[in-house]
Amino acid sequence: MSEIRRLIRPVPILLALVIFVAVPLGLAQFGKGYFFQIANLVLIFALLAASLHLVAGVAGLLHLGHAAFYGIGAYVAALLGTELKLGFLWGLPAGGLAAAVLALIVALPTMRLVSIYFAVATLAIGQMIHTVLLNWVSLTKGPNGVLLFSGIKLFGWAAKTPVAIYFVVAVVVAASIFAIHRLGHSYYGNALRSLREDDQCADAMGIDTVRLKIEVFTLSAFFAGIAGALWAYTTGYVSPTDFNFSNSILVLAMVVVGGLGSLPGAIIGAFLLILLPEVLRGFGDVRNVLVGLVMFFSILFLPKGLFGEVSALTFVRRHFGRSQNRVPGGEVGW
Amino acid sequence: MTLIRRTFIGLALAAPVLFVASADAADAIRLGYQLPLTGNTAQYGQDFKTAAEIALDRFNASGRLPVKVEIVYEDSRSDAKEGVAIARKFVDDEKIVGVLGDFTSGVSIAAAQVYKEAGMPQLSQTASHPDFTKISEWQFRNITTQAGEGPYNANWILSKGYKKVAVIAEQTDWGQSVVQYFAAELAAKGGTVVFTEFFNRGLPDFRALITKIQRDKPDAIYTGFFYEDGANFLKQAKQLGVTTPIFSTSAAHNQKIVELAGADAEGLSLTTNFLPNSPRPEVKNFVDAWVKARGAEPGQFPAQAFDAVNIMLDAVVKTYPKTTRASVREALAATKDFPGVTGLTTFDANREPQKQLSKARVIGGQFTAVSE
Repeated sequence: MSEIRRLIRPVPILLALVIFVAVPLGLAQFGKGYFFQIANLVLIFALLAASLHLVAGVAGLLHLGHAAFYGIGAYVAALLGTELKLGFLWGLPAGGLAAAVLALIVALPTMRLVSIYFAVATLAIGQMIHTVLLNWVSLTKGPNGVLLFSGIKLFGWAAKTPVAIYFVVAVVVAASIFAIHRLGHSYYGNALRSLREDDQCADAMGIDTVRLKIEVFTLSAFFAGIAGALWAYTTGYVSPTDFNFSNSILVLAMVVVGGLGSLPGAIIGAFLLILLPEVLRGFGDVRNVLVGLVMFFSILFLPKGLFGEVSALTFVRRHFGRSQNRVPGGEVGW
Repeated sequence: MTLIRRTFIGLALAAPVLFVASADAADAIRLGYQLPLTGNTAQYGQDFKTAAEIALDRFNASGRLPVKVEIVYEDSRSDAKEGVAIARKFVDDEKIVGVLGDFTSGVSIAAAQVYKEAGMPQLSQTASHPDFTKISEWQFRNITTQAGEGPYNANWILSKGYKKVAVIAEQTDWGQSVVQYFAAELAAKGGTVVFTEFFNRGLPDFRALITKIQRDKPDAIYTGFFYEDGANFLKQAKQLGVTTPIFSTSAAHNQKIVELAGADAEGLSLTTNFLPNSPRPEVKNFVDAWVKARGAEPGQFPAQAFDAVNIMLDAVVKTYPKTTRASVREALAATKDFPGVTGLTTFDANREPQKQLSKARVIGGQFTAVSE
């Protein structure tokens, strides 16, 4: 029985069917670029929220500068495309790696900070990167932004139609989120959770907390950079305002509304906070107030998030877990 | 499991699908207007909406077309994410034959990628980024860029006998162009820029900057700011005893700068192509309608928006009944000497507006035309 369950997992298959078959088919029925645009945006922000979830949720570090690493990825991809004529296949990994390298450099001195001091340090990092993007005119073109005309090309095939672009975004995002899932839902994730709960205790248990923090911060920046490269290639234009403090807060709000420490929660949060302002367009000028109210009430009534960590872990264990250590009646391990 | 179920119920309740479809006449011609109606730059978007409503009401009342024209307004919050989504939405709506907006160059350019690909004429009232109209043949703007205004101001300043000029501008794409075009002309005509610095928008304290300017003892100060920063700068400059004449661009032409800075705005010189106290009948009509709606006089930007909407409507009239996106683009490109409240407008081969500039100065709390 358990052998069969391990081989055929209905929920992941269902999810894959929804993302790669139902959504594109459904959206193609409408034949509208608008829905694909929103779908791409939702996916990109789902990846951003998932990457921040690693740091803010799993490791419990309040990170206020995430949008800056998203910006680094976008700028590196866009500048490689325009200045060096290196296409999507170079820009995507390079965006992620550049963000990761920068994160590693800034993490080395700052990751010994805890709680509010860490938050302020990441706030400062975010602001510094944003200011550099804005003011280093000779490299980043400053406030003029970078126009990227080349579009997505893969081995001679150009993704031109909305469906094709959607598929590229969906594959990259799904693969990245799968990696984040394996990182967070594993003994590695457990170690991160332990340093969130009590870092001194974790230290005493032999976990190198500083090293772990540096690693998770770097990994998180890598995926943010990937999201940035996707944004650059789907929009064709990047400018510093897209990566300012309010975008960091938007992504953080997604993680918190969805449920701190919960990967499905972070993704649901991204869905909600991207879709809601679009769906509420009919309400005119008050729509932002309505979005705020939804956030307010969801935090008020579901303080653990729309899909809280505990239920998310149970859900993931049951439907995605490795369950190699499963004993009758118990749900230990992954 | 209950938690999951609750989550889904909550999501379903929180997101009522409300695509409000307008049930207007089937044969109405539709235009899109993307603009920031909320967020940090909402004051500008709200101004554009009022200007567009005035223009549209007039147009539909005039009976120039047998069918009604309607404008769909979409709020972009000056956010590129939303701007691009709106652009897709407008492109999907087959009835929309032309789009106005956005406000900032950044969002206008991001949206322009979509309009370029789909073939939708886009006319921004304010996007002044040098590359905006270079994106494709579908992009137009109704704002004189600094390529025209900068040299005009440089010559004005030189004609007053000022040789040494300090230049400050906000750190935006627009601010960059303010400095670039002004400095090039000034240097070419024998003047010198003795000081250049960019400040971030919303800077509360200009005193350090002003002190640095004073150190270089310029004959005049040339500024690229909007009214909020402008009012702060002018007040603090007066507090520090600066008597150097201050020049600015049409972006600072807004009655609010006088309201905010009071007597300290006195003597500010700037270029403009719209003066609300002009005796021309079209200006008077617009200003009267604006005062009725808003209770104060309109500035430069609402006037540009009003003209942009009218230029677009004019293009629709010219193409009717064969109004398509392509034909509207052709008609826009052929716009010549359009009589608007900002003077005569002609689009050149690069879809840049050619307008006459004039000089104005704040005298007695009013922007007053000067000839010098």
